[in-house]
Amino acid sequence: MSISRVLVANRGEIAVRVIKACQALRLQSVLAVSEADRKSMAAQMADRVVCIGPARAAESYLKIEALVSAALGTGADALHPGYGFLAEEPKLAEACAEHGIRFIGPSAESIRLMGNKLEARALAAKNGIPIAAGSMKVHNLEEALRTAREIGFPLLFKAAAGGGGRGIKIVSSEAGLAEAFSTAGAEARAAFGDDTLYMERYIANARHIEVQVFGDRFGNVIHFGERDCSLQRRHQKIVEEAPAPNLPDQRRRQIHLAAVALAKKIGYENAGTVEFIFDRDSGGFYFLEMNTRIQVEHPVTEMITGVDLVQEQIRVAGGEPLSVSQSDVRFTGHAIECRINAESPQHGFRPSPGLLSRWEPPTGEGVRLDSHCFAGYVIPPFYDSLMGKLITHGPTRAEALSRMREALASFVFDGVETNIPFLRAVIDHPDYVNADVNTTWLERNLATLSAPAG
Amino acid sequence: MKLFENSSFDFLQLEFGDLKLTVSKGGYKPASSAAQEAERQVAAERPRPAAPRASEPSVLPPKEVQRRTDGVPITAPMVGTFYTAPSPGAPPFVNVGDFVNEDTTVGLIEVMKVFNAVTAGVAGTITEICVQNGAFVEYGQPLFMVTPGASAAQKGSAG
Repeated sequence: MSISRVLVANRGEIAVRVIKACQALRLQSVLAVSEADRKSMAAQMADRVVCIGPARAAESYLKIEALVSAALGTGADALHPGYGFLAEEPKLAEACAEHGIRFIGPSAESIRLMGNKLEARALAAKNGIPIAAGSMKVHNLEEALRTAREIGFPLLFKAAAGGGGRGIKIVSSEAGLAEAFSTAGAEARAAFGDDTLYMERYIANARHIEVQVFGDRFGNVIHFGERDCSLQRRHQKIVEEAPAPNLPDQRRRQIHLAAVALAKKIGYENAGTVEFIFDRDSGGFYFLEMNTRIQVEHPVTEMITGVDLVQEQIRVAGGEPLSVSQSDVRFTGHAIECRINAESPQHGFRPSPGLLSRWEPPTGEGVRLDSHCFAGYVIPPFYDSLMGKLITHGPTRAEALSRMREALASFVFDGVETNIPFLRAVIDHPDYVNADVNTTWLERNLATLSAPAG
Repeated sequence: MKLFENSSFDFLQLEFGDLKLTVSKGGYKPASSAAQEAERQVAAERPRPAAPRASEPSVLPPKEVQRRTDGVPITAPMVGTFYTAPSPGAPPFVNVGDFVNEDTTVGLIEVMKVFNAVTAGVAGTITEICVQNGAFVEYGQPLFMVTPGASAAQKGSAG
């Protein structure tokens, strides 16, 4: 492999995760930190730490020049962007290429292509992958109205430059169309600097199913199965699992093949995720978007396949072929992940940064925790509230669930509020136990689930 | 660079495609685009900084940067390669014993081929140069130590 030193261009649990992968591969790690993260767990683990700017992400983790400069100055020959921040910014991948640094991820072209959700949708359609009824670019209200009458309500306005649940507006009837069109455009312009919108039929009773794909530079593209991430709040995933429960095997195979076909079509390299909406009423599935990075929820896939996806990312970026072929990928048991956040579900999920005075995570068979937290850590107020991901694995869904129940119950922490009580209520709910949920279920049951216990 | 040094200009900004270079003489702050004339004169010449690019360290340096003297540090405003002089062979922007104002240019930091002037941000006397010319510096790393104090009499009394 042509990589010997990796600059980790991220923070929190994913920085820890990437450093662990470097250690396993006997590579040196250099961690780029903001001033607020000098004492983080990742900073204690990395071979070297470079401060790249002040706490504000716009002046540190979102600054391409600072990251590339840090890589060059420390002799790093590769850069791992993690997820979030600049992970899906084609300019970072380009800047790395210009300076002879291997970007641990796909090419800038792939990132750019899939970053435009409208182009990605068109590409999927062209290759015979089902997409939800909808439009290409909507230029004006007249056109929006015509399209709305064709595809029917409820429908969605989506920003071409959006993705990841951002830049979406639901319209339930013709009366709300004009206002939704103008506010969606204005919001897209403000958030992404691009007000291009398209329309899509809204599937109310849907599950979110995504496929982990992986490509190398030799043209091999394989999948590592699917994940079900239907439990979301404000389009942010809370609980994920693999494999997707109650999915007919034939449908499962079709979704896998569609994901691989799309990735193959664009010569995709490294880890990626193709997201689909699965219509629980019709049984149909529709392409949603492709994420050109490692996902937060990748551990559930690792637990059922036994493949370390982050190590695989580094090896593939270093020019090696995929370490496994499609027929080598075997799925064993079931895995569930809960995202543990420093927030207060009883107070509208408001963030709860501060000193984590006690932190005694659960351990045991089939229990994994990916976290950067430790007793005495001060959770800074500048970044997202993710404290870690608790993952359990078991031979069956029921056993994975039972391990998760025990793990959450024995989690000891103090000093900050967390969503652990909320997560316990979610996974204990009969609807979740029976896998009878869709993408709106969590929001609809928020009040009951976040009520104080007892 | 000679042209620039011998010219009456205090500050020079150059752009060649994606390469941007800013050089100033003794603590001058850019105020306007006064350098346009000089830019035309030296456009054919690509000025080089005072030392070769920081080479790949074979051994990772220690995580903590040590400071030897007391006083107020002038810290790096960004991560990059630090240069003490405007060009190779040129005298450094400042020496130990020099008096600096808040807006005196004390060095350059190169970030992806863009040269950024570092200003003192404090008035006083330079007591220590903490970083070698051409060294890689982190955000917030002390570059110089300064004993604060505004005294015009001290100016130029250094050796």
